[in-house]
Formats: sequence, structure tokens, C-alpha cells
Amino acid sequence: MSDLFPRWYNQLPLKIALGLLVSAVVVSAGVWYYLTPKYSRVGYQPIQPVPYSHATHVGQLGLDCRYCHTGVESSWYANIPSPSVCMNCHSQVLPNDPHLAPIRDSVKTGAPVPWVQIHRTSDFVYFNHAVHVNRGVSCVSCHGQINKMVEVRHEQSLTMAFCLDCHRNPAPNIRPLDQVYNMTWTNDPARQLEAGVRCVRDWKIRSSHNCSACHR
Amino acid sequence: MAEHAPKSTAFANAPEPPPELERKPLVQNLRSFAWISDRIAAVAEGRTPKWWWAAFVPSVALMIMCFVMIGYLISTGVGVWGVAHPVSWGYAIINFVFWIGIGHAGTLISAILFLLRQRWRTAVNRAAEAMTIFAVMCAGIFPLIHVGRAWMAWWLFPIPNSNNIWPQFRSPLMWDVFAVSTYFTVSLLFWYMGLMPDLATMRDRAKTKIRKYLYGLFALGWTGSNRNWSNYEKAYLVLAGLSTPLVLSVHSIVSLDFSVSQLPGWHTTIFPPYFVAGAIFSGFGMVLTLLIPVRKLCGLEEVITVRHIELMGKVILATGSMVGYAYAMEFFIAYYGGNPYEMFTFKNRAFGPYGWAYWIMVTCNVISPQLFWFKKIRTNLVAVFILSICVNIGMWFERFVIVVTSLHRDFLPANWGYYSPTYVDVLTFVGTFGLFLTLFLLFLRFVPLIAIAEVKSVIPQGDPDHPLGSVKEMLPATPEMKPAAKEPAKAAKPLGLLAEFETSAEIKSAAKKVRNAGYRRWDVFTPFPIHGMDDAMGLRDSRVGWFSFIGGVTGYCSGMLMIWFMNSFDYPLVVGGKPLFSPVYAFPVSFELTILLGAFGAVAGMLITNRLPRWHNPLFKSERFARVTHDRFFILIECRDPKFSETKTRELLEAAGSRRVEMAEE
Repeated sequence: MSDLFPRWYNQLPLKIALGLLVSAVVVSAGVWYYLTPKYSRVGYQPIQPVPYSHATHVGQLGLDCRYCHTGVESSWYANIPSPSVCMNCHSQVLPNDPHLAPIRDSVKTGAPVPWVQIHRTSDFVYFNHAVHVNRGVSCVSCHGQINKMVEVRHEQSLTMAFCLDCHRNPAPNIRPLDQVYNMTWTNDPARQLEAGVRCVRDWKIRSSHNCSACHR
Repeated sequence: MAEHAPKSTAFANAPEPPPELERKPLVQNLRSFAWISDRIAAVAEGRTPKWWWAAFVPSVALMIMCFVMIGYLISTGVGVWGVAHPVSWGYAIINFVFWIGIGHAGTLISAILFLLRQRWRTAVNRAAEAMTIFAVMCAGIFPLIHVGRAWMAWWLFPIPNSNNIWPQFRSPLMWDVFAVSTYFTVSLLFWYMGLMPDLATMRDRAKTKIRKYLYGLFALGWTGSNRNWSNYEKAYLVLAGLSTPLVLSVHSIVSLDFSVSQLPGWHTTIFPPYFVAGAIFSGFGMVLTLLIPVRKLCGLEEVITVRHIELMGKVILATGSMVGYAYAMEFFIAYYGGNPYEMFTFKNRAFGPYGWAYWIMVTCNVISPQLFWFKKIRTNLVAVFILSICVNIGMWFERFVIVVTSLHRDFLPANWGYYSPTYVDVLTFVGTFGLFLTLFLLFLRFVPLIAIAEVKSVIPQGDPDHPLGSVKEMLPATPEMKPAAKEPAKAAKPLGLLAEFETSAEIKSAAKKVRNAGYRRWDVFTPFPIHGMDDAMGLRDSRVGWFSFIGGVTGYCSGMLMIWFMNSFDYPLVVGGKPLFSPVYAFPVSFELTILLGAFGAVAGMLITNRLPRWHNPLFKSERFARVTHDRFFILIECRDPKFSETKTRELLEAAGSRRVEMAEE
């Protein structure tokens, strides 16, 4: 017996308990950090068929979001523009640029440009762009500073927690309606809060938190 | 064996009790301590018998089939099952309730019968507890696969997640998660704690190194010290006290899954007691189905006697009658309540499209157990075995009837339908029997299937105050060990004097003498807890109860706080206009947590007060000491004791009746 279990065995339980505690903390912290959308989704930046730069078009040239995403004010869906929208300018500007070949092909054949979707909500989540932008929630709030992105990346976690944070307390993210598409607009935080509360009251914003608001 | 011999001296002048008042012995033929451990341990030792393989191979095949079916279900989707509108709770829920019900006998036997001082439980509690654990494992599979997306099942637990949402604690399905997982954990703890002394027996008998090591590892260095037994018994008592309301709560909560919903046939207040009675009924049915063949195959007829079978038959008769009463009462209330929907449901239950299932249920559950009124049937093992299988069949059909008949007729006749399972449903269910039997057979081969130490404590020799407690002639002669033959070099430090005793009466009187002599650092080592030894040694009441109390209070408060925080503060979840927090709906989960942490406290308290695990113990060096888990009793007086003197202490121990006193070494 005693040769099978040398004396140091008696210290094992303490060591095992300590080891388990440490590994439990490490594993939880690891899962918390690495396996949540804040890490796993933020920063997603796929290579697109056409290296369209929002920084150039929005940041430098001052294009309005709605020039391309025409449906955002009136539908649940912020549409991807058809290639003809690109050709409005690019039939004159850089008409033979090789980067734009997929666009020209698409106009000719009618086959859509295979853009890679970056922001997606689960099938069981209903999200409406129109109700958000028409009540003073800016594009920036969810998509980040698009005007500075050469290539679009996933900026926010867009988890349920992300939605809920704003739905429970919308005031900090409500801005004047004429500034919704202004990517660079900022307000003094104290005044913003006051203005936001007033907007929530005046525009009767009822950001619901019941389940069926999003899971219909 | 000497049936009259022991009576000769002690009973000489005592009046003979009338024969009908004499209790039948729990172990037949006045077997000795050594016989008990030899016979029970033999099942898990030696060559694997042929019948074991004959049972094991088909069981494993069935188990594999079960997992294949589950893999098919998860990879394809719940469409492979027969569940569809309107019967959306099909086989999965039926089988869950069925297996959980079977799992109720083990804890009932180990906890409630323990509190009721039913000493016959010692022969069957280990196997019944093992059966409970395996049945709950089978039961746990079904809700897991029933949720559809099995990989999301962790959402049932209150774990912080990026959805910022918490489980909804107003739902009885949530209570179920806590009830079943608490039940499984506490049953496992209870079972393992009961196993510790027997694992030590196995360790001390083991011939090969690997067996010695593995049994030794799980025995946690158990020595049978009476200071340990004292804490151990307190922890066991506390666990029994905690498990008793637990076992009643689990099936009550399972019944609330049904009765909280407003569906005719489900929405009745009789459900919790009716389900608990049914669970005990089915559990005892399964215990008998397993133990009647096992006692024969393992040659344990003298330990699991016909009397044990008969007593379990009586439990089946009692609970079966309660179930029958509940069936009748359901019908009476449906008629007396005057609710047309209720009336329709029950008429439809007995005479509708599922009438065949209803009458199978009534035949198996109500009519057949009534045969147990006859002693001839209770003591006829073949009849009991067949009736116990009837009970299992009947109880499965009970759940089938409850789940399916209430669902297949909706309030809107347009929704009416007929449920039939697919082959995947059936094979998964059959496969769980494979899983269950595989685990049970492994249990038979690796772990003592009867609580060796507990059986030793209920035979007459185990009671120091019983005339047989001091009888030596029944003990087989000990091979005399050559004293000090292989005395090692004197370098080893002496630990104390270790004296060996042969009967429970001897050790108890010796303990009294050592105590009266004023020793402080000493201990008694016995194969089983001896009644009255704590007083003889002058031990204080064990402090284990306090650990459990603190655990229980922590569990209750943290449960209430957690539910208030999750459902009312952090994410105020409005459900059906119910209050955001109420202690009423928070109670079931808080109660389960009370039990869970109370049980953790009891076991942790037992280990802490006993300073276990302690795998390395100088006493294990003594070859003679290995018999402490078998049939010998020891007293150790340590050299550290201020009154210790080698000659005087040795004289005291020899005067107390020990024939072998040796110096144990550090």
C-alpha cells in the first residue's frame, strides 16, 4: 500500500483543487474573450470582387449613403446598389479601369456582382433599417465610421446584447434627423444626452424590449 | 452452521420469544464478517463469468444503436421523429419521465428507508442507487435531444452570454433542469460516499498492483477509523435527510411540466403525489427486475433474501394502489368538476383511439400488483419477476397515455391527429436500455454491488450488545503471523501501539477502558460503524452538520438572489403578465440549490473533518491492518500521547483482550 501511494500524494487534493480553479478561470476568460462575437465577428473584412473604397467615395467625395443604398429610408433592407449606379459616374470616370471589370460585366450580362456579405443577422431576428434611420439612429451607430474604411469591416459586435443596450437606453444614440447620414457629426456628450431624451419623448420612440419585437 | 450453539450461554435464562415474533435474519445462516466481504467482493473479482459476457455484448450493441440514432437525429433534424402537430411531445418526453421515474427507487431506498430505520435496505441500496444514477443518465439524454438544437442546450443554464438574456425561471421546464441535475449530482455523491468503505475493502483484497492502485485511489485512503466513521455517519444522515425531500421534489417538478399548462388531463393538482407514487412504483419494479436474476447469478441469495423481495413486493402493492386511486380520482374529478373539456378528455382517454394504451396501463399498473396481497405470490420469485416487468411496461404506458391522449385532441377539432412513433423513436428508446444495462453490468463487475460495511453492521455479530456480538467461535481461525519475523531496521520512527481485536463487543469494551485510562491521541478502527462506539470513545458530536447547514443556506439565498437578479433586475422579462419576481416561482430552483449546496457541504465537511483524502498513511505498512476492512478491529494508541509508555500501554491493551499488540511505525 504505502509504496503505491508515496507521501506527496496527500498534498494532491489541494494541488488538484488549485489547478482546477486556475484552469476554470483561464478557460472561462478564454471563452469569454475569444468565443464571443465581440472577438469572433468584429474585424471581419472579406476581400470583395471590386475594391470599392468607402473612404474615397464617402470620405473624400462626400457621397451620401442613400445615393447607393436607396432603400434604407423606406424598407427593412439597406440594399446593395445595382452596377448601373456605379456606371452613372464610371462610364465617364476611369471607364477602362481593370478593377471595375466585374461591374462592367455585370451591366452587360445582368449577372449580379458577387459581393460578400459582411453584416448579417440570424434568420430568427427581424431588423428594420427604416425605423431606425427615420428615428435618428445613425448608420455610424452600428456600422462604424464607414467614411474612413478603405475596405468595409465588421465594426460592432451586433449581438443581442448590443441591440439591447441601445433599446434600453436609446437617448445617447438619437441625433437630429438631418445628421443621420453625416458620418462625422458629433455632439457634446452632456448636451447629446439632454437632446436625446427630448427626441425620445417628442418623437415617441418606444424601443421595445419584448421578445417578439425582434423574434417574430 | 451452529444455530443453537451461540444461544447456549447468553440466552440460557432469557425467555424464548414466540417464533412468530422473532425477526427473520437479514443475512441467512449466521454468516461471519469474512464470509460477507468474501462473497460480495467475489462478484467483482476473479474471472468474468460467461453470463456476464452474454449480457454485456448485446447491451453494448443496443447502446451503440442508441448513439447512432441520436447522431442521425442531430445530423438530420427532429423531422426523423414522429412528433408533429398536435402531438409535439412524443417519445422523448415519455421516455424522459419513464427513466426519471425508475430513478426514484434508489434514493428512496437509500434515504427514506434509512431515516425510517428499515435495516433491510442495506442489501439492496447500493444496486438500487447505481440503478438510479444510470436511469437518470438515460433520462437526461431525452430533454437534451428534444430541444432540437442540442448544441444550444447550454442555454438552459444560467451562464452569462452575448445575448444578454437569462433563463426564464417561471417555467417548470427550467425547474426541471435544476431538479434533475441536482438529483443526479446528489445521488452520485450519496452513492460514492456509501462506496468509500467498500472500495477500501476492495483495495485491501486486491491482488494486482493496478487494482490496488485504482481502488486505493477512489477509496481516498479510508482506514475505518472511528473518528472518521463518526463524521461519515453524520454526513450520511444529513445526505439522507436532504435526499428525502429531494426525491419527492424531483418527480413533483416533472409533474409540474404537465400540470402547470392549462390542458385538460394535465392541469390537475393531484399530479405531484400521483407522479411520485408512480415513480416509486416503477423504480421498485425495475429494482426487482434487476435483482432477482442478479442475486441468483452472483450467488447472493443469502444476502438478498426472499424476505427482501417480499418487502419490496409490499412497497409495489402500496404504491400501485396509490396509482390506481389516482387514476380513479382523475376520472371522478373530471365528472364531478363538470368541465366538459375534462370530461371529454377522460372519456377519450379510456375509449378513444388510444384506449388500447389506457387499458394496458390499467391492467399492468392497477390490476396486476393487487396479486401481491398474497404471500404465496410475493415469495414466488418467478411470479415477482414477471409482475415487476408488468410494472415497467405499465408505467411506460402511463406516460404514453398522459402525454399523447391529452395532446392529440385539441380544443379545435381541426387540429386533431393521431401520433405514431417512427423507427428512430423506437430504436432510440430501446437503445437506452442498452446504455442502462451496459452501465449496470460494468457496475456489477467493478464495484461491490452490496454495501459490505452496512451489511456487516446489521448482522447480529456486528452489534456489540447482542449476545452474538462477543462470540468468537464463529470466526474462522486466523493464520498466526510470525511476530516480529521481518522486523525492519530500527531506523523507522514508532507511531504507536496497534492492538487487534476479534469481536465487536471486545473492541467496544476495550475502547471504554482506553478512554477511562485517560488517553487522548488514540483511535479505533473497525470494518463498519459500531453502534455506541462514539460514546464509548467519548467523541463529541460531529461538526459535519454545520458544513451542510452553511451550504444549504448559501444555496437558498444565492438561488433567490440569482433569480431576482436575472429575471427582475438585469433583464426584466415580462411573461404572461406575471410579476417580475415572486418568491413563489423562485422557490423550486432555490430549493434544489439548497439541497445541492447542502449536499456539497455535507460531503466536503466529511472530507475536511476526516482529513481525507489521505492516500499515504503509515498504518497501511502493517500487513495485519489490511484486515480492518475485512473482519478485524484495531485500537491505535499513538506515541505522541502524553500518557503513552510502551510497557504500560501494552499491558492495558492486552488486559482489554487483545491477543496481538504490535508497534506500528511512522
